[in-house]
Amino acid sequence: MTRQNAPVAERRPRRVSMEQVRERLGEPDAMIKSKIQDHIGEHTRRFIAHSPFLTMATADASGRADCSPRGDYPGFVKVLDEHLLAIPDRPGNRIADSFRNLAENDGIGLLFFVPGSRETLRVNGRAYATDEPDVLARMQTEARTPELAIAVDVEEVYFHCGRALIRSRLWDPAGQALAGELPTLGEMAVAQFGLDVDPRLLEARLEEGYRKLY
Amino acid sequence: MQLTILDRIDRPAEDVVALILRGAHGPLAPWEPGAHVDLALPNWLTRQYSLCGDPRDRERYRIAVRHERLSRGGSDYVHRYLREGRTLEVSLPRNTFRLVPAPSYLFLAGGIGITAIVPMLRAAAGAGVPCSLVYAGRTYASMPFAGELRAAYGDRVTIVATGHDGRPDLAALAAGLAPETVVYCCGPASLLADCEAVFPAERLHVERFRPQPRTFGPDTAFDVACARSGRTVPVPADESLLDALNHAGLPVPAGCREGVCGSCEVTVLEGEPEHRDDVGAAPGRMYACVSRSRSPRLVLDL
Ligand code: FES
Repeated sequence: MTRQNAPVAERRPRRVSMEQVRERLGEPDAMIKSKIQDHIGEHTRRFIAHSPFLTMATADASGRADCSPRGDYPGFVKVLDEHLLAIPDRPGNRIADSFRNLAENDGIGLLFFVPGSRETLRVNGRAYATDEPDVLARMQTEARTPELAIAVDVEEVYFHCGRALIRSRLWDPAGQALAGELPTLGEMAVAQFGLDVDPRLLEARLEEGYRKLY
Repeated sequence: MQLTILDRIDRPAEDVVALILRGAHGPLAPWEPGAHVDLALPNWLTRQYSLCGDPRDRERYRIAVRHERLSRGGSDYVHRYLREGRTLEVSLPRNTFRLVPAPSYLFLAGGIGITAIVPMLRAAAGAGVPCSLVYAGRTYASMPFAGELRAAYGDRVTIVATGHDGRPDLAALAAGLAPETVVYCCGPASLLADCEAVFPAERLHVERFRPQPRTFGPDTAFDVACARSGRTVPVPADESLLDALNHAGLPVPAGCREGVCGSCEVTVLEGEPEHRDDVGAAPGRMYACVSRSRSPRLVLDL
């Protein structure tokens, strides 16, 4: 049987070495290298204070990697000082992947977004779980205080150029029509777990759950 | 909501900024001493601040904000990121700390609590009613409007820098209190507690920024029937009335969510609410963020 969407080459895409990558891309220019800072400056602080969303990458000791979204009101990530951030742990799916990874391997990569901004902010460093009361107190929202937070010792900070967001038209409201082409979460769950229920019922339950955010 | 423009940011004391908000479309809603507004910040947070300008000036509001050490995002935003010229939405003024007519007044303010008192003092002094103010703060430099108040009201104002002078002698003030004098106090919990200990309750009016630490019986589940929409919403034991209504799609506005600001007031038609707020609900009203129910069912005008 021939597959309809068979890849052009019926084998794994070939691998190129780092030398070959460098050959193709050229050396990064000094300007780009020098924009990497080792602390939170005034502009980065303002960016973080207006960011309601970030992605957080961690990996376990064996290198098994994971990336997860975090979001709340703008400024939900607290800048404790020039070298230290704290990210609240809000109720999510209770999968402690990031915490487990950080316990084995403290490397962390964060990418902050500000709606409407084409540039994104990258912050890399070392992180650990904390329950420091003064830190958690600053994260209280809707009368709820998180149980845990992630403290990040900042090592590298830099703005990432806007090309990816421009090409992706990420903030163009017209782009939101794309979501309409996807199966609903209910439909996906019904298919994946082979459930015998009306996906709309499941959908309603999930929507119900989404109303309670804290 | 009213649209305003942030005309100016002043620094009346260490760690305190005063914001001058001008109505974007002409005069702003009138208010009386003791009133506060909700300020909607660009970071989606809403905070309550007492109006501390002149009620006769319909063009602008003045509020003052202390940079809290453990800011949850409100005062930190105001201090670090707000810029002059920006538009900001403020609510209509709300007053849960009214100045009742009295033959004389004693005003007590602690730190940033002075904001609610400034217009009260102006109104009382302006009306020729005998009044005095004792204003306490850690250091003189940390106390907004201290100089301005001394200049305007002279000896009627006593400034107490507690780091230097120690705490004000409230017992002596209480002992010397004329029988008809009404006391207004706004400040940190410790000052309010001290005032409550020495002044007669029926002549003491206080305003809190944080709830009084108190304990209540266990939270129990109850039902709310919403008379206007005809809906009944169950309130589980682990959810507030405010959250239950909001989750059910019956939006009730909220500010502090701690029972101090009064923005989540709802009208009770039937049933017996269990009041847990620090505003002091009027008969037939309750504050949905903290208060619950003694009866298994409440009927609300929603
Ligand atoms: S939200 Fe402030 S009293 Fe309820």
